[in-house]
Amino acid sequence: MTLILPLLFLLTAVSGTAVVLVRDPARQIFAIAVNGLVLAILFDALQAPDVALSELAVGAAAVPLLFLVALMAVRTRPPEEKS
Amino acid sequence: MSMLPYAVAAWLFGIGLYGIATSRNFIHLVGCLGVCQSATYVLLLGLGYRWGSIAPIFYDHPPGTPAVDPVMQALVLTDIVVGATLTALLLVLTIQAYKRGGSLDPEKLRPMRAGGKSGRDPGPSRVSDAERSVS
Amino acid sequence: MSPRARIALLVLAGLVLLPGTGAVIAGLPPFGSTIAQYGERINAITPQVRHVANMVSAINFDLRGLDTLGEEFMLLAAITGTVVLLRGRRGEGNTERAMRRPGRAVIPRSDTVVLVCRIAGPLTALFGLYVVLHATVTPGGGFQGGVILASATLLIYLGEGYAGWRDTVRSHWLDAMEGGGALLFTLCGLAPMLTGAAFMQNVLPLGTFRDVFSGGLMLVENLGVALAVTGGFTQLFLEFMEETRAADEPDEPGEESA
Repeated sequence: MTLILPLLFLLTAVSGTAVVLVRDPARQIFAIAVNGLVLAILFDALQAPDVALSELAVGAAAVPLLFLVALMAVRTRPPEEKS
Repeated sequence: MSMLPYAVAAWLFGIGLYGIATSRNFIHLVGCLGVCQSATYVLLLGLGYRWGSIAPIFYDHPPGTPAVDPVMQALVLTDIVVGATLTALLLVLTIQAYKRGGSLDPEKLRPMRAGGKSGRDPGPSRVSDAERSVS
Repeated sequence: MSPRARIALLVLAGLVLLPGTGAVIAGLPPFGSTIAQYGERINAITPQVRHVANMVSAINFDLRGLDTLGEEFMLLAAITGTVVLLRGRRGEGNTERAMRRPGRAVIPRSDTVVLVCRIAGPLTALFGLYVVLHATVTPGGGFQGGVILASATLLIYLGEGYAGWRDTVRSHWLDAMEGGGALLFTLCGLAPMLTGAAFMQNVLPLGTFRDVFSGGLMLVENLGVALAVTGGFTQLFLEFMEETRAADEPDEPGEESA
């Protein structure tokens, strides 16, 4: 446990950075989902199963879906410039 | 190790701010805001953790077993769910801004005017407006 | 402001804030050494006085129930804002029928997908219900269970298609669930006052420790939260999905009034 927690913290930092640095929104959605999954694992390791369950349902499923649908809504508009 | 969680939280917040400042797409910007938000989760849960403690659920363990801080978890738990609905609200505002301005780029966002025609037609007026908002 | 100036300003602000952040981090208790006294006391006292095993639920629905009431209305306000923004342009009349884009090809679903969704959908819903109902004993509660239940309805969309989903999930029911859940939570706060107790005081019988029916008023509040979150999230999915469908309509005239 003493080794897993620091690694998970570092993994969280990396996945959060990835969300920012992936500039294309369509690819960023995957980064967001992975970030939600990593956060859920970290929260479970931090003895917070309630929060992990919540983050798993919200961060890894609901929020990426909302992003995806928002992107779809923007892309189905008549493209004036770039979508 | 003793300072790592707090450093990670500060890093996440900083990189999220950097993403917001440099983003050229509103949907990407909302994602960066989510990274800032996750920094608070990491900070709060890091503050509430204690080595060798169990989760604050006394089902398998009798009450009195050392457990981690439940207050932080309650704070984070409600914020995750409510934060998701706020993300949805921001995304809807993004869609509306796109419909009105025809662009997802924050640099090209024009100031809203009462009763103004929504700027669908790409023309010289829009370009000058964009330049004015940049300056 | 030019992007370059913005970056410079951000770096400058970061440099100004860095020493303060460093000082704060150095002043925090080392990770994993100790927890706040308040949480410690809650862990020690609550199992005896409230007969619940899950401390997080106890804080959310009882000890700090007023805060959760505020969160509940934040949820309601955010979802109402989203729905108003999305539906306002389309008009209320269009919300009942499934819209279809003529230009989009209807891809037939493979039998495997339909089968898997028909099996997994009810199972997910069942798991969501389990998570909701066991709020006071095991990890779970209205917030998490509500999101899981809302995700379960998405499996209907995946398996039965958009029209089938719209036939199953009625927008007005969702409105009623969302508002009714918030109302139920508020009533849980007000009802004890009729008996002379304080706002949101736990007046119902507390039940047995480690039993599903423990916690008294917490169970009702939990149900209210679950209703509001399920209704709210399903409503969000539905309105977002509808937004991708309405694209073919000549929406310019209606746009001005949005």
